[in-house]
Amino acid sequence: MSKFSRMLRQALTVARRDFTATVFTPTFLLFLLAPVLMIGFGAVGGIGAQSIVGDDSQMKMVVIAPPSQAPTLIETDRQLRKLFPRKSEIMPPPLTVEAPQGDPAAQARAYFDSDKFDAAAVLYGPLDKPEILYARRGWTEAQFLTQLAEQSLRAQKLGNAEPLATVTQTAVKRGQGSPTGRGQAASIGVFAIFFLTLFLSGQAVGTMAEERSNKVIEILAAAVPLESVFFGKLIGMFGAAMLFVLFWATVLINATRLLPPEIAAGFPSVVAVIGAPTYALLFITYFTMSYMLLGAMFLSIGALTSTQRELQMLSLPITIFQMMMFGLALGAATRPGSWVEIAAQVFPFSSPFAMIGLAGSSPVIWPHLLALAWQALWVAIIITVGARVFRRGVLKSGSPKRKTKIEATI
Amino acid sequence: MTGELAVSAQGLVKYFGDRRVVDGVDIKVPKGLVYGVLGPNGAGKTTTLRMLLGIIEPDEGERSMLGYGHPRDASDLVGYLPEERGLYPNMKCREAIAFMGALRGLPWATGRKRADTLLDNAGLGHAKDEKIRKLSKGMAQLVQLLGSVVHEPQLLVLDEPFSGLDPVNQEKLEKLIRAERDRGATILFSTHVMAHAERLCDRLSIIAGGKVRFEGTVNDARATLPMKAHYTPHHNVEGAHVLLPADAVREGDGWRFTLPANGIEALLVKLIDGGYGVSGLSIERPGLHDAFVKIVGADALKDQDEEEAA
Repeated sequence: MSKFSRMLRQALTVARRDFTATVFTPTFLLFLLAPVLMIGFGAVGGIGAQSIVGDDSQMKMVVIAPPSQAPTLIETDRQLRKLFPRKSEIMPPPLTVEAPQGDPAAQARAYFDSDKFDAAAVLYGPLDKPEILYARRGWTEAQFLTQLAEQSLRAQKLGNAEPLATVTQTAVKRGQGSPTGRGQAASIGVFAIFFLTLFLSGQAVGTMAEERSNKVIEILAAAVPLESVFFGKLIGMFGAAMLFVLFWATVLINATRLLPPEIAAGFPSVVAVIGAPTYALLFITYFTMSYMLLGAMFLSIGALTSTQRELQMLSLPITIFQMMMFGLALGAATRPGSWVEIAAQVFPFSSPFAMIGLAGSSPVIWPHLLALAWQALWVAIIITVGARVFRRGVLKSGSPKRKTKIEATI
Repeated sequence: MTGELAVSAQGLVKYFGDRRVVDGVDIKVPKGLVYGVLGPNGAGKTTTLRMLLGIIEPDEGERSMLGYGHPRDASDLVGYLPEERGLYPNMKCREAIAFMGALRGLPWATGRKRADTLLDNAGLGHAKDEKIRKLSKGMAQLVQLLGSVVHEPQLLVLDEPFSGLDPVNQEKLEKLIRAERDRGATILFSTHVMAHAERLCDRLSIIAGGKVRFEGTVNDARATLPMKAHYTPHHNVEGAHVLLPADAVREGDGWRFTLPANGIEALLVKLIDGGYGVSGLSIERPGLHDAFVKIVGADALKDQDEEEAA
């Protein structure tokens, strides 16, 4: 067995132990379902925020018009509502047509004091010279009533509110995605890899703590090169992270399929220039590299700490460092061709983020092959340096203090 | 010393900061023997073993293990029980042993099977599916020891293997060491308890102050001290002193002294002729403990006792 394959076998043995020790615990279930908690808290927060902003379910628009005009107004309202996605937040509130009673102006003003509903806007007067009153946050509804009056008047003159044109609509899929879609593909890729790495790679910081506290490190160090221990632990943690990603990816993909078509249609045309399958492959690969790069660094730094307190103290600088890399990569995604983009692509820790951004906006493949080789080289460098520092600092395998020239002279 | 060497080291030196904790250690361990590294606490035994195993690198010197230039290249052929015991507390015994074998290249499935057999033989068959954290310290230590032999290593390195074990488990461990030697393995172990070394070692090194002070067999070590005689006169115990060697000291109802170089016979004739008679006479070979004290120096041992008391 060659030296490399033996190191790989040893790394996989360590990885297997770490993976099973991480995954087959009740804590992992909590970790896996953590986003549910996040969504739950988000929903609770949303309800709270909505109660502060106000509930729109009691809102109505009112038109004061003779009963003879009511059918035309209602049909026109139905036609105009087709401009808005169904059940969307921008859909105007329901329309009520009320017959005039006495002074229409006073009647219209009275609706704003009604305890039965909240009047957003009220139209009264003849359709060619209507008066519209609207409450605070009722400006949009006032514009809707303006169009309602205009279109109803036209319908009255034509004698029919039904559409005159027979329109054929055909959905067309863009081959290369829109410029906006491309930009979104780049930004979404950067965001997604950043958040996944932020949530998942930070855990690598404490993985050596177990071995140090229970003295297993001595057994590992005697049997396996420290580089294999570090790499194995990284693979083990990455396996757990991938399980998390696959679980939630499956949930999200299936949840998206269950969405009503009109809501799904609301999503922008996010098409990466490089092509969906290649983009997906690059996304997974860059996530892997991003995890390995940052995880290797965190693992190496965390391995040198000797107490939980020191580990906890590291979480802030780690998060700040990740935010910096994210900022750099996002800057690169929004400034194609700039020095920021080149810097972000070359700097190893921001390179995966920046390169997935590039994959969203450029069809060229070779830079990715170069970047992946560059990133893999840095993973190896970080693991090697981390293992050496650990060997010297923790296992006390350092060289003797060399005498300075002055000491030697004395 | 003849035959192939399992371990060879020349001029090993290790500094911790400015302190030279290992100071030019030479060790040659022939294959198939039980080899002891003896020394007081802080003598450099553990550091020497860690260098031999490649856990830490020596600052000077060379070593080889089972014919390999770097010990790590031989790691699949070596078993190791460190001084500071360590196991994953949430692992089951069988898995812990299989894991230690897998680190040394043994397939997991084979490791599990062998773990079952080893646990049964060690009287721990009931604990196969127990988690390590539920075991007593002594049981966990035995499990770790089984993990270090599960891959049937050619060389077994044990650092202070008897510390923390009760007499029953110490006996089990001695048996296991002998069984490993009978299997053909070389055993290199460190200890500062002479009784174990005396019973087990085919050869040994005594280290003190980071240097090897003695290398040879147990008998060689004993031979560094002359034999002692204990003589009990029949009459006039005090008066017999004039005929005895100068180092004679009173001990009970007799005298203890170094056996004369020309034997005991001439002295006995003188004592009988002098009318002291012989009520009792015993000739004692010095123990390894005495040889150890002489070799490392009483001061080193005093330091050790103080450390142990602390």
